[in-house]
Amino acid sequence: MSGDRQRLLAAEGLTKTFGGLRAVIDVSFTVAEGEILGLVGPNGSGKTTVLNLIAGALRTDAGRVRLAGRDITRLPPSTRTRLGIARTFQLVRPLRNLSAADNVLVARLYGRERADFSAARSDSLRLLDLVGLRGKAQMLATRLTLTERKRLEIARALATQPIVLLLDEPLSGLNPTEVDTALSLLRTIRKVGITLVIVEHNVRAVRALCDRVVVLNSGRRVVEGTPGEALSRPEVIEVYLGTRSARAGFDA
Amino acid sequence: MTSIHVQNAVFGLLIGGLYGLGAVGLSLVFGVLTMLNVAHGELIMLGGYVSIWLFTLWRLDPFVSVLVAGPALFIVGAGLFWVLFRRLIHFTEEHKIKNSILIGFGLALVLQTLAILAWEADERAVTPSYAGEVLALGGVVVPLSRLAALVLAFVVLGGLHLFLTHTRQGTAIRATAEDEQGAALAGIPIGRVYLIAFGLGSALAGVAGALVSVSEAISPAIGLHWTLKALIVIVLGGMGNIFGTFVAGVFLGVVESMSGFLFGNAYREVVGLAIFLIVLSARPQGLFARS
Amino acid sequence: MTVPRLVPPALIACGVVVLGAVPLFTSSRSLLTWGFLILLYIALAQSWNLLGGFGGQVNLGHAAFFGLGALVTRMLWLKGVPLVLALLAGTAGASLAGLIVGAPSLRLHGPYFAIGTLAVAEILRITAGNVFPEVSTLPARALAGYHLAPRYYLALGAALLTMLAAWRFGRSRFGYGLAAVREDEAVAEASGVHAFRHKLLAFVVSSALAGLTGGVFGFYHVSFYPQFAFSPLWTFDALLITFLGGVGALWGPPLGAAFFLMLREALAFRLLEVHVLIFGILFIIIVLAFPGGLVEGWRTLARRGY
Ligand SMILES: Nc1ncnc2c1ncn2[C@@H]1O[C@H](COP(=O)(O)OP(=O)(O)O)[C@@H](O)[C@H]1O
Ligand SMILES: [Mg+2]
Repeated sequence: MSGDRQRLLAAEGLTKTFGGLRAVIDVSFTVAEGEILGLVGPNGSGKTTVLNLIAGALRTDAGRVRLAGRDITRLPPSTRTRLGIARTFQLVRPLRNLSAADNVLVARLYGRERADFSAARSDSLRLLDLVGLRGKAQMLATRLTLTERKRLEIARALATQPIVLLLDEPLSGLNPTEVDTALSLLRTIRKVGITLVIVEHNVRAVRALCDRVVVLNSGRRVVEGTPGEALSRPEVIEVYLGTRSARAGFDA
Repeated sequence: MTSIHVQNAVFGLLIGGLYGLGAVGLSLVFGVLTMLNVAHGELIMLGGYVSIWLFTLWRLDPFVSVLVAGPALFIVGAGLFWVLFRRLIHFTEEHKIKNSILIGFGLALVLQTLAILAWEADERAVTPSYAGEVLALGGVVVPLSRLAALVLAFVVLGGLHLFLTHTRQGTAIRATAEDEQGAALAGIPIGRVYLIAFGLGSALAGVAGALVSVSEAISPAIGLHWTLKALIVIVLGGMGNIFGTFVAGVFLGVVESMSGFLFGNAYREVVGLAIFLIVLSARPQGLFARS
Repeated sequence: MTVPRLVPPALIACGVVVLGAVPLFTSSRSLLTWGFLILLYIALAQSWNLLGGFGGQVNLGHAAFFGLGALVTRMLWLKGVPLVLALLAGTAGASLAGLIVGAPSLRLHGPYFAIGTLAVAEILRITAGNVFPEVSTLPARALAGYHLAPRYYLALGAALLTMLAAWRFGRSRFGYGLAAVREDEAVAEASGVHAFRHKLLAFVVSSALAGLTGGVFGFYHVSFYPQFAFSPLWTFDALLITFLGGVGALWGPPLGAAFFLMLREALAFRLLEVHVLIFGILFIIIVLAFPGGLVEGWRTLARRGY
């Protein structure tokens, strides 16, 4: 159905309160199949919380999440993963006492499509190859460097065979060379047909990568549009002023 | 309500106050350090022995012994923190909980066995002159010493509340429980706060133990019993809420006492387990916590 | 290289045959009793390890499931129910108890599961003592036909079953899912692993096998107070043996059980309390300083090329 392709993923009026703090307030947007949507906004504006609500790590107070028209609001995160929503964590969380290969293997065994052990193993190694960790396959995840863990995080998410991939600040903490490598990896991921929702602070990268952006501030959606138009709106610049990297991005 | 029910409720209330006091120290330690010391009941047991000792040696009144048992167990607790639990403070929250439980389990056995080696396995009691005196209200009797223990438990909790809300140390402890990283950034010495909180939690166990000795027999084996009551009370009352804990203790005491009467004393302990499982299924944040 | 891969299956088969042949070649009571005990302790500790080691959930009430198995099996057997059915009933009773405690407490994070298991053990212990205050002694009829060999074989069966379960837990899809849950539940969920179901299933298997082991004990022991089978010392022995050998490792419990029993023989203190004291301190030291136990020590030595 073309309607479902336009609205592959839909957030409808998402709201989340922590104690007295309203972290996400009535946020709605849709993501079309094959699209890359950027979710931007200053620190604490609720981006990670939105991803958690979509992935099911947090329960919504109000609102719905739909995947290809199906209401998944009440499903546990593991079920959403098996339906095709994968995510990475902003603060990387490898399975510390498992090898890099086994981190990916678990996701391949439990993800959207079932695989037998030998197929799952070779798929895992292929994915480690894709993110440049083939040589570290047997290393315990605790012993990987931070950037290696970030790549492992992406390999693990890809191993679930996602339809939609949610990435929480995949570029933070990377040096410029690593950013370029990561950007080309993300383009590769899009090419195989995976829809992407990316939370990112690096405005230059957002401009280069995203088809559309949703800007959050204090838990509310303030602007939505193409990166070009949305990021040059005065209210967005105002929201962002103060962080140097952001200003650099606007100047560019 | 017939007077037999009232009588049961009164006994439940009297023991429940001690459940509450026994639980508060454990709750405080968990709230501040995210460590669950399952040897807490053994600290209560040690507090009980302090009172027994002082009474046997110098006929010291158990209500006076409270003043010794508190500080003595503060030192014991601070020592245990320094030697054992301090090693966990850099662990992730999940590992802190898990490893503190494991260590506490081993520690409980060690303390219990030490107590058996030191004082034999049999039960002891203090027997002050006023032990048998009761207050008769209509058809209901209230043992005076138990009533005094309940009042004192309440006073101790009030004092704790004042300490936590009106002193620098107390504020530091609360701030750490609320937001450890924020507290550290604000210049609060986290290590010392941990030491004091652990000592304070243990001191509360010591006070509880001395008050328990007023009305119950003390033996090396009572530790697990008191740990269990404390844990159920904490789950019932919600973590980190002093008066919620106290109310939950009283609630548990009364429900146990009434159901012991209804279902037969052999099954009275099962009620605690049932309450625990029901609360977890229905309201895991506890009955008395603000959501 | 892990230990199991170093031990070819043929060697394991030989081991099983040798263990199975022991009663054929000796009728020495002390040897058979020793064999029985070590197998019983392997089953006890390995059944704890299934959830505690492979799943990372601290069960402080293993004695409850052991005790339930012992109590149910013994009562039914003494009432004339065939032994196999009695054992099955004990196993089923223990796993049902596991389900009742696990379903609400494993759903939550934090210390709830440890608290719940501790509570169920202590409360069942007291209640068993209240309801069955009398010592349970085998009647003359059963004593006349008492032989150690069938007890030994049952313990061997329980030990092999727990080893088999642990072996599956180590390398099946379920085992990988459980390992992910142990490491980080949120990540496991994000990988498609239903954390609660994995923990609950592991717990039910663990408590069922503890119940079976308890049933074997109930069939073995001539005379004991029902309350004794619920003693927290059973839980402690399971933990100590598992941590001594290597928590979460297939060969941890057998290594730990052998070491534990030898140490207990060697110490041979007159007072039980001194043993408990020493083992309690040993346990704390292992948890704090050597969390990998003997298996980890072995691997480290192997890596360094000794
Ligand atoms: N689990 C939580 N408990 C309490 N507050 C939270 C939690 N997660 C996020 N918050 C708060 O919600 C707000 C939004 O956080 P977050 O979604 O992480 O923002 P962002 O990812 O945009 O930086 C912040 O004020 C944060 O402190
Ligand atoms: Mg964030």
